[in-house]
Amino acid sequence: MSTRKPLFGLLGLIVVLVVVFGTLSPAFFDERLVLFPLLRDIAIYTVVGLAQMVVLSIGHMNLAVGRMAAFSAMFMGLSYDRLHLPLYAGLCIGLLAGAAIGAFTGWIIARTGVNSFVVTLAMDFALLGLIPVVYTALTANAAFTVKPDGMRELRQYSLGDVCLGNVCGSPAVPQMMLLAVAPMLALGYLYHGTRPGRELLLTGSNPLAAELSGIPTRRRVVTAHLLSGLLAGLAGFMLAVATGSFRATIGEEFLLPSFLGAILGGTAMAGGVVSVIGTFLGTSLTLVIRRGLELVGIGLEYLNVYLGVILLLALSADRFLQRRGVKS
Amino acid sequence: MIVADQLVKVFPGVRALDGASLRLEAGSVHALLGENGAGKSTLIKILTGVQRPDQGRLLIGGEAVTLRSPTEAAQAGIGAVHQERNLIPAFSVAENIALQRLPIRRGLVDRAHMRAEARRILGLLDVDLDPDVRVDRLSVAQRQLVEIAKALYGESRVLLLDEPTASVSPAEAELLFTVVRKLADSGAGVLFVSHKLEEVFAICDTVTVLRDGRTVLDAEPIADHARDDLIDLMVGRSREALSFPPRPPATQPAVLELDRISTAAGHREVSLSVRPGEIVGLYGLVGSGRSELAKALLGLEPIESGSVRVRGKNVVIKDVRQALAKHRIGYVTENRKEEGLFLDQPVSRNIAVTVWGRIAGALGHVSPAREGELVSMWVDRLGIKLASSRQLAGQLSGGNQQKVSLAKWLAAETEILIIDEPTVGIDVRTKGAFHELIWGLAADGMAILLITSDLAEMITLADRVLVMRDFRIRGELDNDHHYDRTSQAVIRLIHSKEI
Ligand SMILES: Nc1ncnc2c1ncn2[C@@H]1O[C@H](COP(=O)(O)OP(=O)(O)OP(=O)(O)O)[C@@H](O)[C@H]1O
Ligand SMILES: [Mg+2]
Repeated sequence: MSTRKPLFGLLGLIVVLVVVFGTLSPAFFDERLVLFPLLRDIAIYTVVGLAQMVVLSIGHMNLAVGRMAAFSAMFMGLSYDRLHLPLYAGLCIGLLAGAAIGAFTGWIIARTGVNSFVVTLAMDFALLGLIPVVYTALTANAAFTVKPDGMRELRQYSLGDVCLGNVCGSPAVPQMMLLAVAPMLALGYLYHGTRPGRELLLTGSNPLAAELSGIPTRRRVVTAHLLSGLLAGLAGFMLAVATGSFRATIGEEFLLPSFLGAILGGTAMAGGVVSVIGTFLGTSLTLVIRRGLELVGIGLEYLNVYLGVILLLALSADRFLQRRGVKS
Repeated sequence: MIVADQLVKVFPGVRALDGASLRLEAGSVHALLGENGAGKSTLIKILTGVQRPDQGRLLIGGEAVTLRSPTEAAQAGIGAVHQERNLIPAFSVAENIALQRLPIRRGLVDRAHMRAEARRILGLLDVDLDPDVRVDRLSVAQRQLVEIAKALYGESRVLLLDEPTASVSPAEAELLFTVVRKLADSGAGVLFVSHKLEEVFAICDTVTVLRDGRTVLDAEPIADHARDDLIDLMVGRSREALSFPPRPPATQPAVLELDRISTAAGHREVSLSVRPGEIVGLYGLVGSGRSELAKALLGLEPIESGSVRVRGKNVVIKDVRQALAKHRIGYVTENRKEEGLFLDQPVSRNIAVTVWGRIAGALGHVSPAREGELVSMWVDRLGIKLASSRQLAGQLSGGNQQKVSLAKWLAAETEILIIDEPTVGIDVRTKGAFHELIWGLAADGMAILLITSDLAEMITLADRVLVMRDFRIRGELDNDHHYDRTSQAVIRLIHSKEI
């Protein structure tokens, strides 16, 4: 119940900031140079945030989101480079790889009962070792640079290129946004309308009571991490398409934003409460701030300080809400 | 010495207190009675500064005061044991007792003094506990005593006890009463909340009754009132007499049989059987291994030897989900806060969790309408008092939380139900309704294994009583529903010599 109101707050904050930045620097509203890339980043990082949100929903975390994205992107690059597969076939293979590594991580956690923090951290190190080895062995300069058909279009096309009769969409909205909307709809339905989704939430809320209510909590742990790996893979694909190559460094910057987006959006660290729209808004807020600060001329070195402060505030608010919930 | 005058406290959707008054005198034990959700715990929270009233005044020694925090209340000499446990499991007994006002010397915690104080208060209570032992090593009842010691720490003159005996054994309750009497005789004022009227009549001098947040009986001597008068006051109308139409003896073959089960938890050679339409009681003291037996049966603890038969077939039950989906066995857990409820989730999800398997369609789709219908049916049938089914379970009163954890398993529509301490913290009227309900379930053919420490409840409901002690079954009795005869036989079994 308490998850609904913060969303309006976030939305309001975003609107205010957009107006402020737009006034300070009218270039902010430039469709091709600012809005299009901004929205593309929002799409990518929303998926990153969702990848973290699904594990937060059971009270876990995934410190390997970035590296899972890289792992998944590596399989995509391989299928284009070696197997010459079409764009979407390669995507599917990469997503499978992401889901598999996620599920494997979840399985280890469920089997051993070791904290997700530790297991995903270990997984991060393992992948950190593995991925560059594969790239060095198979590529000339640590990236698969083949561009399957459709990749350039996916990167550049906007809704302005989609027309019904002579009504066209906005040229500011990249088509890649659809790749974020699809998982948002799917997860929204999962959590609100289905049994496995609610079971994830209850597992996060109270694992012991969940087990005693007939929820297969171990299976749900695997489900959550599987989804996390899958979504990380999708984000890896989107970033690779946006930057033009499948490389080992994909996902290196995913970790902090993944928490930032989800938690600003009202997802609880302790599990049991998620918000898909919130993750989208939380991500949008951080990226709007980042882009806006850049445009008004604040140096990169200070940017991260500002973002760090926002995360801290969001986390304290989360704690505060939780404490109030327990007391009452 | 402490007076609450016309308190009002409003939560979204409910007026928890609506003109509640209370007069607590020094040197007396004062009962605070009322149905589940009447506002007893809210009143106590206001008296201890946990919550602030929206209207009304608090007077201590005739002077109006505002209590802004539990620390301020403690400074005013008010100590309380709340309905929900408030100890830190990883801390020692002494640390927990002293927590609110740690003795400080030269900027450091004075551990020697803290330990000595803890030992002194425990001594006062006649409790033999090592102050250095960690609280998570203690039994439920021992933790309760530590809470009382904590409330007494620092010379409290007023002690507020919110259902202190809900989960302790009769012997431990006796100990508690002795302590309470001793405190009152030494001039303290004690407020005692309980749904067990026998206790109330045994130890209280005066009584206040709350109904729907309003005081309907204001600090009168308890001797002036008969038990049934008080119940009528709480309920607000005369009760219909409860009827338990006799059930035909269960004749069908047993659906649940345990044959010489030994478990890792320590059970040895436990055998029992339950037929459809039968209520089998499992009685024993707290810690005798009853809940552990239920858990082993559901696959939560390993069974080392012996066999479990469900409907005549040998089975190995892996987990609760399998017990529910495949064998139609349900287990209503004893400990609602840790094992039964999702406190930060809506009541609807708390109840519906066991029915999703039944009502989910393709891809696990759960129809909100169907779910809502089932939830409101059980909310109505158990009379759960709430603002809306979207309310969080943690916001309900203690008794209503208990009802939610039972509703979950009734909604599951199982054929075999293990019920562990179903009426802890439940008011008299609802308790009667629960008993009727359980009786009715059996009459409809359900096989019920009832675990309870409430002997009266056992004798009202059970057809047969098995007595467990030290993880073994010590004997079996046919129950003729005559309290005196059966209770004596049961007690004799419990205290019988080792076989
Ligand atoms: N934090 C809260 N938010 C919303 N409603 C609340 C909150 N705390 C209590 N209530 C409501 O206030 C009413 C009184 O609750 P209270 O806990 O005082 O009852 P009680 O008399 O102690 O009952 P019980 O015997 O079941 O413990 C209930 O309807 C409860 O749902
Ligand atoms: Mg209460």
